Amino acid sequence: MANSLRNKRLFLVNLVKIMAFVGCLLGLLLVVLKVENMLLSSLLAFVISYLLGPIVNSMERWGVNRVVAALLSFAVVGLILTLGIVAVLPLVIEQVGSLKQELPKYVDGLTRIMTDLQTNAEALVGSYFDIDIAKQVESAVAPWTQALFEDLPAFVTKSITTLLLAPFLAFFMIKDGKILTRNLLNLVPNSIFEPTLNLYHQINEQMGHFVRARLLEALIVGIVTWIGLFIIEFPFATILALFAALTNLIPYIGPIIGAIPALAIAIINGESNFGLFLVGSVYLTAQLIDAAFILPVVVAKIVDLHPITVVVSIMAGAQVLGVVGMLISIPVASILKVTVSTVYRHLTDYREV
Amino acid sequence: MIAMWDNLFRNKDAAAEVREILKGTYIFQDLNQKELKLLEGMVHVRIYKVGEPIFRQGEIGVGVYVLKAGGVEISIENPEPNANSEEPQITVVTQLRAGDFFGELSLVEDNSRRGASAIATEESVLIGFFKPDLFEIIERNPSMGSKVLLRLSEALGRRLRVTTGKVRELNKEIKNLKVTDGQ
Repeated sequence: MANSLRNKRLFLVNLVKIMAFVGCLLGLLLVVLKVENMLLSSLLAFVISYLLGPIVNSMERWGVNRVVAALLSFAVVGLILTLGIVAVLPLVIEQVGSLKQELPKYVDGLTRIMTDLQTNAEALVGSYFDIDIAKQVESAVAPWTQALFEDLPAFVTKSITTLLLAPFLAFFMIKDGKILTRNLLNLVPNSIFEPTLNLYHQINEQMGHFVRARLLEALIVGIVTWIGLFIIEFPFATILALFAALTNLIPYIGPIIGAIPALAIAIINGESNFGLFLVGSVYLTAQLIDAAFILPVVVAKIVDLHPITVVVSIMAGAQVLGVVGMLISIPVASILKVTVSTVYRHLTDYREV
Repeated sequence: MIAMWDNLFRNKDAAAEVREILKGTYIFQDLNQKELKLLEGMVHVRIYKVGEPIFRQGEIGVGVYVLKAGGVEISIENPEPNANSEEPQITVVTQLRAGDFFGELSLVEDNSRRGASAIATEESVLIGFFKPDLFEIIERNPSMGSKVLLRLSEALGRRLRVTTGKVRELNKEIKNLKVTDGQ
């Protein structure tokens, strides 16, 4: 009797604790999703804290106080980034300016290619399908390219808010992240405490590896593409390399998207076959270097997701959150996979010892 | 307002109390005050009601528990049920009191399974220290990590010695029984 009463009370306590824990997580999620600029800022903050965390740990190993180590690493990395931006920004601004000027030429070129394509296709299958591809492309591309430059100021303002908020959040994640996690874990009922703690650490470790690996890949692909395009004296090398680095963050599809603008520019400019081959080679070399030197080192540490899962996750991410969704789809899929397998293992895998 | 200050000081007292208990624990005894403060920031203080399991035999385990207050019973389950009942046989191995620690094997073993069950026999406060925290200490403060690992190895070695002694005693008993049977 006393036992059953005790069990009932224990069940109630555990239920309240689980509700409080889930409630806190949902509350945090709501803040991140609903407060303006918060999603991007917190994602960036996570990225910064995953990048700087190991540096702060190393400095602490040499005896530097954690807060001082965090401040120092932020200052040094901030300085390097500022110098980098100051060096690269004029090039980017100049290339964006000339791209803006030459844009009508490229839209016309794209339309011309599409018209040729249509003529060839009609010659093959007859004019059974009465679709004017060129007109459709022009009406789709022109407003988009126009909007790209019109939205640029708003995008820059938003980026500045994010760029200020993200390091602020990241600093406290590195300094007090442990306390926050511990307080949150305090709410977890005893019966699932160890699996939850284990799960949290697994996710944390995998995300750290994932973020560092992806950024390293993007950096190397960006640099190789930049050098390659410079060597073959291709126009807009800096923004094309930046674009290739950014799209490379998306697995499988990213590298292809990254190469499209350069190939399109080459075709529109009427480059010879050899020219097209050179542009293609630059992008291919970047991917080969990535595949030969980076992937073997880092891939083993990242959650092993099947290529189909990766592509479906990216599509789902793009549908829900657009470009941000594409970027976070793989980590989110990995988190789901680790969570489901850990919970399943905890519930079913009991062994006699 | 007074309650808030009271709470604040009580929290400080609680932290100092945790450090005190950790300092008195075999595996953490070599740590200095600064290291104990770092450790105190990592451990998890958990409260268990009477009869509540801390972990069960066969479950995956990731850490060691230090008993701060209360009592814990360690028992093993024999999977072969007794001839007279369907229930598995449960043998109580030991009763632990404040200051004792248990479950340390899972700190070093990969995919460790709990070899016994631990159940609170009274309302108990436990301090949990887990494998990821040990790894973090090794990364952030290697000299502190070495101190903990050395004591941990010693504790595991001591338990191994006790187990070997018991096996030897049991072997002797089996031999004696065979001799008696032969006569």
